Amino acid sequence: MAWGEYPVEYNPKVHGPYDPARYYGKPDTKLSQVKLGELGSWLARRNKNPIAMVQAVSRAWWRWNHKFIFPRNAGLSGPIQVAVGSMLFFYVINYRRYKNHRFAKYH
Amino acid sequence: MVCSIPKVLLLGNLGQLNSFQPSQSVVVRMVASPFSTTQQVSKYEEGPERDLVNFPRPKRLVDPPAVSLGFIPQSVNKFFYPKLGVTGSWTFGGGLVTYLLSKEIWVMEHEFYGGICLLIVLGAVVKKFGKQIGADTRASVQEFADDLNSGKVNEIKSSEIGIEEEKKAQWRAEGEVMLFNAKRENVAFQLEAAYRQRLADVYAEVKKRLDYQVEKQNVERSVQQKHMVNWIVSRVTKSITAEQEAENIKKCIADLKGLAARA
Repeated sequence: MAWGEYPVEYNPKVHGPYDPARYYGKPDTKLSQVKLGELGSWLARRNKNPIAMVQAVSRAWWRWNHKFIFPRNAGLSGPIQVAVGSMLFFYVINYRRYKNHRFAKYH
Repeated sequence: MVCSIPKVLLLGNLGQLNSFQPSQSVVVRMVASPFSTTQQVSKYEEGPERDLVNFPRPKRLVDPPAVSLGFIPQSVNKFFYPKLGVTGSWTFGGGLVTYLLSKEIWVMEHEFYGGICLLIVLGAVVKKFGKQIGADTRASVQEFADDLNSGKVNEIKSSEIGIEEEKKAQWRAEGEVMLFNAKRENVAFQLEAAYRQRLADVYAEVKKRLDYQVEKQNVERSVQQKHMVNWIVSRVTKSITAEQEAENIKKCIADLKGLAARA
């Protein structure tokens, strides 16, 4: 698969128009349905190829867009989620500086 | 067919060209009438191997999924519902925040209060202008969508008008048939009138000739009669001699004498 091409599993005759939010490979059990004991084998089955990782992130990004940005009456919830997410992210990466502003002395 | 006929014949006898029938290679395109009842509206169909059950066509959402607090999706609430009930996410969130604040893992430095101020201002803006802005954006989105759709909508509208016009034209053509029938009838009447006129003419002409013959015979007969009478009278008068005349007069006088004696 070269740069800018469809995933190899995608077959337009079977799958119809391409949806970038959709996984066209063989679906595994959902993470939310996986039992704790099977988590190890579930993780072992994941494709750890960096390309596959990027594809997974891309699908998630498109899925989120379809949900919160692309709907016709989409409101502020999508941008607020981005803001909250970036707030958390920057809070975490700056946490060692914020730690110095603690008032507590005994815990 | 063409090859079997000598060129001379072809050129010399043009009448043969007229008898040519179109060969089998002629392509006839059958165009179905848009009003034929057998025509069906065909749905958009994809190939036979298309899997619409597992891979339905993607559809754009109209409304985004509901969120609480402006950003928390309902899936979070669903995740907590089996263990903690309806208020599960609030219980968890409140407990987590309380824990983070009490242990000062979430440090409240100066930016925290700035954030609260910003949140209040933004909340006020959303509360005050949110509905108005939402209505305005929705209207402009509607306008944009209408603008994009207008080509299709206008095409459909003009096609419908065209269909109406076509139906009207067909109706008119049907009326034309009536008109043609009336005209044909009119012509038939005229032909009938001319035929009867000619019949009458023939009758009159024949009668005239026959009358002429009758008149001619009458005239001939009268002329012959007259001539015969004249001839007979003239021959009779010629045949009367002087003695006969004198005898006649004597007889007349004797008759008169006899009459006078009797009277």
